[in-house]
This record gives sequence, C-alpha cells and structure tokens, in this order.
Amino acid sequence: MSAITFEGVTKRFGEATAVRELSLDIRQGEFFSLLGPSGCGKTTTLRMVAGFEQPSEGRILLEGEPVETVPPYERNVNTVFQSYALFEHLDVERNVAFGLQRRKVPKDEIQRRVAEALELVQLRERGKARPRELSGGQKQRVALARALVNRPAVLLLDEPLGALDLKLRKQMQLELKSIQREVGITFLYVTHDQEEALAMSDRIAVMEDGVVKQCGSPEDIYEHPAGPFVAGFIGVSNLLGGVAENGGVRLASGVLCSADVPGDCAQGSEVHLSVRPEKIWIDDLEPGMSSVEGTIVERVYVGTTTQVIVELAPGERLVALEQNTSRARADDRWEIGERVRVGWHPEHSLVLR
Amino acid sequence: MSVDVARPSPAARSDAVPARRRPPKAFDRPRFLRLFTGLFFVFLFAPIVLVVLFSFNSSRSLQNFDGFSLRWYERFFESESLRSSLLASIEIALVTMVVATALGTLLAYGLVRARTRWSGALNVVMLVPLVTPEIVAGASALLLFTQVGFQLSLTTIILGHITFSISYVTVVVRARLATISREVEDAALDLGATRVQTFRLVTLPELWPAILAAGLLVFALSFDDFVMSFFTTGESPQPLPVRIWSAIRFGVTPTINAIGSFMLAISLVTIGLALLLPRLLGRRESGMGVLLGREGA
Repeated sequence: MSAITFEGVTKRFGEATAVRELSLDIRQGEFFSLLGPSGCGKTTTLRMVAGFEQPSEGRILLEGEPVETVPPYERNVNTVFQSYALFEHLDVERNVAFGLQRRKVPKDEIQRRVAEALELVQLRERGKARPRELSGGQKQRVALARALVNRPAVLLLDEPLGALDLKLRKQMQLELKSIQREVGITFLYVTHDQEEALAMSDRIAVMEDGVVKQCGSPEDIYEHPAGPFVAGFIGVSNLLGGVAENGGVRLASGVLCSADVPGDCAQGSEVHLSVRPEKIWIDDLEPGMSSVEGTIVERVYVGTTTQVIVELAPGERLVALEQNTSRARADDRWEIGERVRVGWHPEHSLVLR
Repeated sequence: MSVDVARPSPAARSDAVPARRRPPKAFDRPRFLRLFTGLFFVFLFAPIVLVVLFSFNSSRSLQNFDGFSLRWYERFFESESLRSSLLASIEIALVTMVVATALGTLLAYGLVRARTRWSGALNVVMLVPLVTPEIVAGASALLLFTQVGFQLSLTTIILGHITFSISYVTVVVRARLATISREVEDAALDLGATRVQTFRLVTLPELWPAILAAGLLVFALSFDDFVMSFFTTGESPQPLPVRIWSAIRFGVTPTINAIGSFMLAISLVTIGLALLLPRLLGRRESGMGVLLGREGA
C-alpha cells in the first residue's frame, strides 16, 4: 500500500496554476523529496497533503483513504515547518507534548514518549528551555521531535534546513536520514537544494512550474536526466546545442559526436547534448572518445577539484572538473588561453530534447 | 522606554548639514534645550499639579494653601449622588472594557487572517471612528437612540463608549497579531488542535499582552470620557465627568479638585498597569511596546 497517492491533482489560486495534474505514488517508509526552484509548486503540494489547501481537481489518498473531507487536525500526518513554528509561550517539553495532549494520550505515556523523542534528537537536557533560548539547529530538532512524537503515517518537511548554516545543514542531513531509517516513517521532503535531495532521498520528483519533470532515484535523476531542465537543475550540466543524426549529434561547429539518440527523436531535429563536468577529459584522450577543440578561458580552484572552463566557439562553453590529486594539479597543468582537446566517452553523453 | 525628547537636537542637525546660515548660537546649546523641555513639562503639568495640591487644602480657598487635610475627599465620598456617579463611571468603564476588547480582538483577528478583496477597504473603514469628531459621534448616537425610542440610561452610555472603543482595541491587537506567524497556527492545526483550540491554546497566549493593554486603555478612555457620555446620559446617575461639568456650572468647589485628583489617580493606575503588567508577568516586551505596536521593545 502506498503512503501517499496523488491522482491527477491540480491546484489553482485564482488565475495561477500552482500544481498541474500531479500523479505520484509514495511508498511506505520511503524518503521522498520534492525538488524544484521556488514557485514550482512543491510547498503547495505539501500543504495539500497536510490539509491546509484543498486540491482544485483530483484527489489525494493517505494510506489508501481519500482525505478531501478530513481537516488538518484529523489527518495522520505531521509537518516540520520552514520557520520551525514553535510555540513561544511553551517550553520545549510542552511543545513536544502538544500533539499527544490533543489526542488525550494518558499523562505517563506522554511523559515517556516526549522523553524518548527528545532523546532521539539529542535535546534531553533542554526540556525546560523556552524556544527563544535555543539556537537555530536546536529549534529545528524540537520541531522534528514535536512532529515525530505523534508517530504519523507521513512526516512532511518543508525546507526544514533552509535557515541553517552550511556545516550544520550537512550534519542535520545525515541525522535526518538516520532518524528516518530508525523510526521507519515515510518522509515527504520539500527542498530547492539539489545536493540535499541527492544526499538524503530514496526517490526524488523534480518539479518545474507545477509539473513533475522526472521522478526516480537520485542516481537515475543525476545520470539520466529526462530533459534539459532536470539536467540543468541537478548538478552542473554542459548542454551543447546540435542536430540529431543517425548515431549521434552534429554540433554547431560541425563535429559529429556519437551518442544514443532516443528512438522517438526525429533525425534533423534540434537537440541538446548533455555531459556532466566530471565526465569530461582534457587532453590525453582515450580512443573511442567524442572530442572537440577549445580554448581554456578560466580556471577556478575549489579545493578538491579545479573547474576548468573551455570555450568551444563564441558563446559555447564547457565546464570540466579535474581532480586535484597530488600527481596532477589542474591549475598547474593548463594556462588560460591554451588550446586543448576535450573529450568524453559516448556513453556518458545524453541526448535531450 | 526612555523619553527621547532631546534627541533630534538642533545642534546635531546643524552638524550633519554644513548649513550656510547657522542658527543663533543659543540653539546649539543643550542648556536652551533643557530650559525648553522644562517649560514644556511645566506648561503640561502645572494645572494638574495645582488641582491635586488644592484638593488637599484645608480651607475653601483656591488661591492660598492653608494646610493639609482630607476634608474634600471626605465630602466627596459622603455625598450619596457623587458616590453613585463614581460607581456608574466604573461600571460603564468595566463593561465597555470587556465588551469592546472582545469585539475589537475578534475584528482584528478577522482583518488580519481573512484575506478577501474587502480586507483592504475594511482596514481603512475601521479607522474612521478614531478620526470622527467625538461631538459628531455623540450627537448621532443621541439622535439614533431617540429615533428608535431607546430610553437614555447607563446602557446607552455603554453602547456609545463601546462604539468608539472598538477601533482602539483593533489597532493595538492587530499590530500584535501581524507579528504572529501564520505557520504557528498551522502547526497547532497540524498537531491535532481544532480551530477553536488553536485560537485558545496558541493565538491567545501570544496575543494577551496586547489584549490586556488594549483593555486597560479602553478602561481609561471610557472612565474619563465626557463628550459621548454627555450626549447619551439619562437622568441619573450621571457618570463622573458629566457630574463634574454640571457641578461646575454652580461654581468651583474644592470637592471638584478632590474628584478630579481621584479620577486622575484611577487613570494613572490603569495606564500604569497596561504598561507594567506584561513585563511583571514575565514577557519580554513592555506594555508600551505592545501599545505602540512594536515587537519586543
């Protein structure tokens, strides 16, 4: 049985359509992310599951039951809000106990479960603190404990790490993932941070303008993006314009790069050839690689790697990532202005319409 | 909560702008400002201080202070009719406070939380009672009550007071409500609280410093209101301000001073509570901040 099912869900606000004919199945126990730029409808989708918004068309099923008539306070889901939304007038323990008290859970059980939840998020000692005495990361943990303590069928997370600094965010990503594995609750996670989505999710749905562009595992989405939007949004992608031909793509410069052209892609139609930066080689190419010639225009040293930007033709650039191993530091190997050959294995390139 | 009377000093201003025509030297000196501020407060408070002082005078004189006594207060409290006026004023102020605070809070909640195409207009219309000349409001209330055949009594005064008080409550509560994130209310719903429970358990606790301050403000406004009371009052008992006004027509007696001082004391205590209670009860923000719609003063 699915934890959440969307059946042709559309949500309109006046003239604007926030979500368009969304159909998705989210499995029980899955860590599922909705990924997209701001305004793509991901938060609206989440709010419809929570019950704060009603779909204009279609329906949502929670654990197989349609929920259009169920108000938010009777749905078996809980939300971790972006702003944490803690109750400032209650201490940490009473924040966490709020949901259990509404459901008339016996007092001693509330006490035990609140303690467990605070243990889970490592905040046992701060039970008597007021939210304003906590740091951002601690508030985040309280919000998480407050939602998890109710053991919902689905936990909804609306960019919960957005307000944290980078280091804390990385740490919380790992913690969230391990907490999810520990409690086994379905997580529906909304984020605009592709790295976050890749690091934590079992599956990701990439959204643009209210439409799911692709849904699959992180590896699927990264290695086989379904279109230019997904390829560009997930990680850095080099998109080279060209024309589909038998057995490859003819670039604007006239070079034919061999690639798998999808069957439904007519010959002569305009396509993009996509190659990930880490798959691009500079000089010392191997036989069988597709290759083009270009000029190095920029080198950016970023620690473990160096980004090398190669101009193939005016306005057409490629980004290549070179590992900075002790044997070869990319920023020593090439000079700006140097002519080089860049290449990639054909199986690492992807034809996108 | 400091009084920043002297902050935009002419001296600072002339420093900031290298003026072509410098103001006369005296304006540069804080001494002038001190004098000016002193005069301002003397002008403001001298009449009130005199009233309070002469309310304790042992003689009838309004010119010479002949020694301390409480005889005018005794006379005030011995008079059956003055006592009933005082009680009437307190009753009016209390009922007005409770009803206007409840209605004004609900209005504020609706104005902030309901997003309809009328909200913009309603937010402006709500301010009209604040700027309506009170004499107009009073006269029209009188006309209304006589037209519909409503006997003038304490009830009509209370109705009149409530009409002008609601706006004050709404302005104060609305400012506070706007600082409460909607996500907090969503969180309560999400955790299983119904809408009513959400209001009671989450919104109200965040809102009550503002509600308390607004209520006490309304009490003070109602307690010393003259114009609306004058138009809507019946035979008896008249509220205290109307009573003072009628008494003065037959000459000023020191008893008036005693009544005035007593009213002043009640108003000061009320406003003092409005400013201090939120702080005393362990909130960050002062009542002043709440009244002025500031977050965490």
